[in-house]
Amino acid sequence: MELTLASLTMDYEDVSAKIRRFIKDYVERSGAKGIVVSLSGGLDSCTVAALSALAIGGGKVLGLMLPEEEAHGFRDIEHSKLVAKKFGFKTEKVDITSTLKAFYDSVPIFDASENVCKGNIKARTRMVYVYYYANRLNRLVCGSSDKSEVMMGYFTKWGDVAADISPIMDLYKTQVRELARHIGVSKPIIVKPSSPALWPGQTAEDELGTKYEQLDLVLYGLEHFMKPSEIAEQLKVKANLVDRVKRRWLSMEHKRRLLLTTKLEYRTVGTDFRLPRSS
Amino acid sequence: MKETFKLALSQISCERGNKTQNLRKIEENVIAARRQGAELVIFPELSVTGYTVRDQSYELAETIPGASTITLAEIAKRTRTHIVFGLPELSEKTQATIYNSAVMVGPKGLIGKYRKMYLPTHSVFEEKRYFRLGYEAAAFDTDLGRIGLMICYDVFFPEVSRLLRLQGAQLIVCISASPAIRRTYFETLTAARAIENTAFFAYVNLVGIEDGLQFWGGSRLIGPQGKLLAKATYDDEDLVIGVVDYADMRSIETFVPTLRDLRPELFDKLKEGAEKL
Repeated sequence: MELTLASLTMDYEDVSAKIRRFIKDYVERSGAKGIVVSLSGGLDSCTVAALSALAIGGGKVLGLMLPEEEAHGFRDIEHSKLVAKKFGFKTEKVDITSTLKAFYDSVPIFDASENVCKGNIKARTRMVYVYYYANRLNRLVCGSSDKSEVMMGYFTKWGDVAADISPIMDLYKTQVRELARHIGVSKPIIVKPSSPALWPGQTAEDELGTKYEQLDLVLYGLEHFMKPSEIAEQLKVKANLVDRVKRRWLSMEHKRRLLLTTKLEYRTVGTDFRLPRSS
Repeated sequence: MKETFKLALSQISCERGNKTQNLRKIEENVIAARRQGAELVIFPELSVTGYTVRDQSYELAETIPGASTITLAEIAKRTRTHIVFGLPELSEKTQATIYNSAVMVGPKGLIGKYRKMYLPTHSVFEEKRYFRLGYEAAAFDTDLGRIGLMICYDVFFPEVSRLLRLQGAQLIVCISASPAIRRTYFETLTAARAIENTAFFAYVNLVGIEDGLQFWGGSRLIGPQGKLLAKATYDDEDLVIGVVDYADMRSIETFVPTLRDLRPELFDKLKEGAEKL
């Protein structure tokens, strides 16, 4: 199999139509009144919010902006408003700084220098807010995790990944960029470096140790059962880069398959209850 | 051919996807078993790779012979033992058609392989998603008598062990990866397969926890009269030695002559019934 950027090419009109149909169908079947998206101003959440508005109408989509003083830039708010205006959905801003501080102050073992632990609090706090809004307004939470992040486990367990549906989770980051371009998301949102914005200066590519263009091809090769040596040879990258990505992908399954228990009885939740979803 | 010999039920846990480590553990157990006089050492189903490897099956699968079989054949030669183990077998004719196979190697190299005929695809099992069905029972002449191989869920289907016995197997080896909630079935059926075939029956099960599934161990050697001759502990790794003495088969074949009393004409009715189920 040839592994080039062309391998990732998709018919984005078709992809957009399928995702919009999926969102509309799910919202209608569930009986919910609409969707709440945690809107960070980044590529993924802006694209998901835009697709949601295209699917069910902007009036039924709320982009919840949840900034905090440490890592959320004014430009992110600007980008959130930009996409909301263009696709006609509402936004609401709730500053979560005071909630975070209350949490930090209440925890005896809190250590401000532990970036990852502290960052996870932010992601999980945003999850609490977005689910409150969804409950209160009888809406669904629409997640914006992409395939690159999910395969690499680059998300907070029970945090940013928590959602009722995740419409772009089968698209690699580079594919999300193309989809965003196709549906008309503004260029500054598409080209800016991706970041979970959990601490100042954090960027996804720095943390993942490779550019998304390269990472996505490695992941695409692994998805298609290619051997790491073949992937490294085709992409002209060091074998240990591919090995590292592969190890991380495999080791992060615990973040993707939640609700693991041990089998004790006849049929078990998460294992061999294979029930159809009611919506 | 030896009339009597010792075998080892090598009940191990496996590190999923780590063939190097699993092969090392198999080698250590073979050496330990040989020191206790065992000439046949039996390991669980898919013991080279671990059982619950899911999509990794494709990259872990090997041809037979292949690297792992060659490694274990060398160990068999060096230690003068026979070894039965399991691995996902890659068909030589394709790149992604795999079987759930049992392999026997001995001091003279590869003796034979068996491709699992009954692949569980229900409850927690998803074997048909990954494996192609095997089509042939497999019994082999060895220095330790004629030995037949079968795998786990095959034990629920008496025809597999019956075919092995009709092929002359004196010892039926069943390698397994059975989760704990199925223990009573296996404890009953392994004894039944020995009795109805008046043959020795060695069952070796996996232990350890994989993906929330707890494998119960309880490996055993059962005599042709259904007597429990050796038994490993439940749930933990164990290495247990049992003695096979083929002379025991004669008395039980006269006491419960199931082979003499076989009624081949009923098999046609079975076939008809199964086809119309």
